[in-house]
Amino acid sequence: MEKENNKENFLADEEVRKLVIARLKVLSPDTIISLGSEGGFSRDELVKDVEEGNKVGEKLAEVQMEWLRSFKENITV
Amino acid sequence: MNFIVTRPEHDMTTKYLSAWAGEIIGLAEIKKIRVIDLRRVKANQNDLIGRIKKLDPKLIFLNGHGSDDCISGHDNKILIKVGYNHQILQKRITYALSCNSGKILGQKVTEDNTSTYIGYSDEFIFVGDSNYITRPLEDPKAEPFKESSNQLMVSLLKGNSAKEASERSKDKFKDNIRKLTSSLADINSLQIAQCLWWDMRHQVCLGNIEAKL
Repeated sequence: MEKENNKENFLADEEVRKLVIARLKVLSPDTIISLGSEGGFSRDELVKDVEEGNKVGEKLAEVQMEWLRSFKENITV
Repeated sequence: MNFIVTRPEHDMTTKYLSAWAGEIIGLAEIKKIRVIDLRRVKANQNDLIGRIKKLDPKLIFLNGHGSDDCISGHDNKILIKVGYNHQILQKRITYALSCNSGKILGQKVTEDNTSTYIGYSDEFIFVGDSNYITRPLEDPKAEPFKESSNQLMVSLLKGNSAKEASERSKDKFKDNIRKLTSSLADINSLQIAQCLWWDMRHQVCLGNIEAKL
């Protein structure tokens, strides 16, 4: 997974970081998320990635923020 | 009619995608469509290019890891790369169930306006369950991802255009998102819905979108 220079650094915002971690912590412990070539990650690994603010954590934050933006933009499915 | 499918199986992600593609192969066989199944070590550049040149298939279904400008096969060895062999996909319909390749590879393949490339312009993300890693088709968390992605191939094999197939796939993503968000009884539902939303938003249908089999 290549990170582009112009991508936002969501996890620099402490509130976003807390939100993403809180969302992850409610998942069942046997949940795995496959993030492309980065591989599959357990819930606890993902929490650690978000805490560290690495690229896996950033991608999860981006997914979360895009979802929230869809409500702001009133995009419905 | 025939089509080629690549199915590397060297990690959790590729094993899931391969299992999902297995259902499409089954459907094609019912429809008497010949499938050239390049599975595991057969999902390599020599076999893929050789088969395309020999059989000239209209449809190619690539599963595996990808990046902006390439798609990989077994053990992440490159199958198709921009500037090296991407032209081999031209004048065909390609569905790439892989990350990111819709961003540059898909654009390059479809520069000639006769080719069709359906793929994802960012990561293809899915949710699974560690209790089902050896049985991907039974994994309830991964089921909506399989359904939504496979809908695309199902539609193409039914004779719909690439545009229609992509729309139907996106409709299936939406159906699954609605189901998950209307009943949040499962603590994982919201995360699954978010990832489905992400995939749907990044599915792209490029080039000759009216192409059909």
